[in-house]
Amino acid sequence: MGRKALGSALTFVFVLVFNFFLFRIVPKDPIGSLFRGRNVPRETLENLRAAFGLDEPVLTQFLYYVRETLQGNLGISYQSRQPVWNEIVDAIPATVALVGASAIFSALIGTLLGIVAAWRRNTWKDHSITSGTMVFYSMPDFWLGMLLLVAFAVVWPIFPVGGMVDAGSSATGIDLLLDQLHHLFLPALTLTLAYLGEYVLITRSSLLEVMGEDYLIVARAKGLRDKIVRRRHAVPNALLPVVTLTAINFGFVLSGAIAVEAVYSWPGLGKATADAIRGPDLPMLQGLFLLFSAAVIFFNFIADVTYAYLDPRVEE
Amino acid sequence: MSEPLLSVRDLSVTYHTKGGPVPAVRGVSFDLEKGGSLGLAGESGCGKSTLAGALLRLLPEGTDVEGQVTLDGKDVLTLNPGGLRAVRWTAGAIVFQGALHALNPVQTIGQQISEPMLVHKTVKGEKEAKTRTESLLGRVGLPASRAGAYPHQLSGGQRQRVLIAMALACDPLLLIADEPTTALDLMVQAQVLSLLSELKEERDLTLMFITHDLSVLTYACQRLAVMYAGRIIEEGPGREVFADAAHPYTRGLAAAFPTIGDMSSRLAPKGLGGDPPTPGNLPGGCPFHPRCPLARQECLPEEPELRPAGGGRSAACILV
Amino acid sequence: MTTSLAMQRRRATAGRMWKQFRSSRQGLLGLGVLLLFVAMALAAPLLADVRELNPVFARAQGHPQWAPPAEFGPLGTDYIRRSVWAQFVWGSRVSLFVGLAATVLTIFIGSVVGIVSGFLGGRTDGVLMRFTEWFLVIPFLPLAIVLASILGRSVWNIIFVIGITSWPGTARLLRAQVLTVKQRLFVDRARSLGASGWHIVSRHILPNVSGLILANATLAVPISILTETTLSFLGLGDPASASWGKTLEEAFVNGAMIRNAWWYFLPAGLGILAVVLAFTLIGRTLEEIANPRLSGER
Repeated sequence: MGRKALGSALTFVFVLVFNFFLFRIVPKDPIGSLFRGRNVPRETLENLRAAFGLDEPVLTQFLYYVRETLQGNLGISYQSRQPVWNEIVDAIPATVALVGASAIFSALIGTLLGIVAAWRRNTWKDHSITSGTMVFYSMPDFWLGMLLLVAFAVVWPIFPVGGMVDAGSSATGIDLLLDQLHHLFLPALTLTLAYLGEYVLITRSSLLEVMGEDYLIVARAKGLRDKIVRRRHAVPNALLPVVTLTAINFGFVLSGAIAVEAVYSWPGLGKATADAIRGPDLPMLQGLFLLFSAAVIFFNFIADVTYAYLDPRVEE
Repeated sequence: MSEPLLSVRDLSVTYHTKGGPVPAVRGVSFDLEKGGSLGLAGESGCGKSTLAGALLRLLPEGTDVEGQVTLDGKDVLTLNPGGLRAVRWTAGAIVFQGALHALNPVQTIGQQISEPMLVHKTVKGEKEAKTRTESLLGRVGLPASRAGAYPHQLSGGQRQRVLIAMALACDPLLLIADEPTTALDLMVQAQVLSLLSELKEERDLTLMFITHDLSVLTYACQRLAVMYAGRIIEEGPGREVFADAAHPYTRGLAAAFPTIGDMSSRLAPKGLGGDPPTPGNLPGGCPFHPRCPLARQECLPEEPELRPAGGGRSAACILV
Repeated sequence: MTTSLAMQRRRATAGRMWKQFRSSRQGLLGLGVLLLFVAMALAAPLLADVRELNPVFARAQGHPQWAPPAEFGPLGTDYIRRSVWAQFVWGSRVSLFVGLAATVLTIFIGSVVGIVSGFLGGRTDGVLMRFTEWFLVIPFLPLAIVLASILGRSVWNIIFVIGITSWPGTARLLRAQVLTVKQRLFVDRARSLGASGWHIVSRHILPNVSGLILANATLAVPISILTETTLSFLGLGDPASASWGKTLEEAFVNGAMIRNAWWYFLPAGLGILAVVLAFTLIGRTLEEIANPRLSGER
């Protein structure tokens, strides 16, 4: 496990370097473009440049960047003039709630559907499940969000149109929580439907591979009922890759919610990204990019460790 | 004379594949007396493993199985699902070929041996299951501590012993061993064979031994049946069939494998040329005639029936 | 082996593949839908006046705003009086073009990296694979967003960005395939006969991986199209081009949802859905042909 942790740390270092140099591709002067068209005294611009450290040689900037990043200082947002770190930290809970709920539901429902599809391969159940999820998987997730929004918040307004709480509401405690859940429903439904397909397909093909194995015939020969064979012998073997996928996915879904959060104005990292794009608020984008990458690295690591724990064939 | 433990009449198995129906077994009949032993030999593709699977109805869905299989007085092919499950492993159990994937990779071997005991309720609880499992492991020559091991941690020979122990879990009347010595080296083969014959004596088992290696069967089996292209083409007392085969195919098969313990036979194998026919594509007449050194005009157009060949044997050849 | 013999063999293989493809219902459905949209994209000038995309023209024509299809056919108008039908027809061109071009770039980079890595082995392989692994870790959409933000909003930048971010999957797949092919005897024989590396790659390796490349490419197009759509929706698309993603962005930003102007945002999304599904079906069929085990047979 120590070796895996080291590998992950190295990858993070790579991301750090990559992140820094990525944003140096832009030849434009960000401060200048921020104030384009406005009359700002040159001295102010110079001061701002100095404040953002943009007048130093590249290597110095890089070392400064590394030091500051490791201390949690990710710069100041061009748009809000607030520390990037603060903005990001404020946005994290909303995204975790949304992505967490969606990931859990899509994993559970998707896996179950995948099991049914594989066990009843080539029946109408299989075909309808596979086709249905393929359709959802083939549409832009934010477009699905738009459809659901119009259907259930405009035409038949049982859900709110956006945000995390009703504007101007001063509810607290349980009332606040209920209001938030009410707002959470549609975006979570959108993401769940969008990610369902992957779980269905992976579970289905994994289980189909297992179903070809001899030990299932042996299990039947022992006199076990079909259900027990499935539950005790087939599914545990089939689930190993699915578990890994779930963990890895969590890291990626974090950034996959960007467009959906934009549609629902859900105040999380995704919306922050969408807003930062309109600047472009480069410090924000840089900080968000770092966070998204770190999340992926972290969850890949978790996935590796979990798999090693679950599969007795993996030697330590 | 009491009823045979296993009685098979006109058993036919046809697979349905994308390329059309494939008749893997075509009208096989034999009896197996309680306490007896039958060896079933043949090259791959002759239908012997399909036959074994058919006896307990373990073939894939959609496979046509016709005929009659009577095991311990019950007609296996017409049992309802509950009855079938009850018969499996208790009346007849299979020792599968010990490839890695005959065992569930994520369960310990102790769990896999105990499982049928608990399902069929032949023990009173988990504790008794554990005790019995450990004693079974001991009987097949493995330490009880191995009960907590996973299949990938065992060697090929050890896995085969586990499969034997597992087959005995519910004290079956009939033990079907399907290629139990294939893929093992010669020394381990000998050990497994002697283990099987000891167990047969101890527990008064009825044994059906399936293999492609005829030499393995000579001493282990009272009766020997040879399959080719889905039918039994020779049948009789083990020693006679091997020593003086009536059917040209059996003769070729016997010469193809060295006899265990007989070094000279290893130096002069006279194998069979050519390949066995694919089940969907049988040549007309006697299915063996394309490879037969004694083939002649009369071998076509009809397939010969089994006819008596002296000494309690029968063979499906016109030369008999 | 003379080239004419090789060509004959290749033609025979292609013929076989086509026959297998023809027998697949899902493959034919996908192909049919795709051809329909390609035809629409190519026939765009015949189906809708390109000037309708220009708001000044639309205003001059006196079109109503936000008109539903009943009022102004066939698909109504948007917030600045432009015909939605024209946007749909002309948008197909951009979406298809970007999707295909980006995929070509992805496959090209991925194939080169994968084949070189697999063929040369050793240290080159190690370095390239490490590089690929790192790229795989970086979340795809944020990277695309960042690059697009920095590089600016143009069609070519979008194509470049998608190509640059999607290649690792292809590289990995092809490397594995090349390694399998390398183990076969004839490559060694060719080597011992003194054949140059390039000769081996083009004559032996490429024909054996081309099927895989094709299947992979067909399945990569949906990703490219969906990425372009998302990037356009977030405002990173080319302001001068009328892709379906851009239509959705404009619909969203200008309140089409609150007004329930379904005719505005429904067609573009359905178009994307149909094209993506078509490529997915074709890709799955090709995969099944290349690897029969996937269809559920043992």
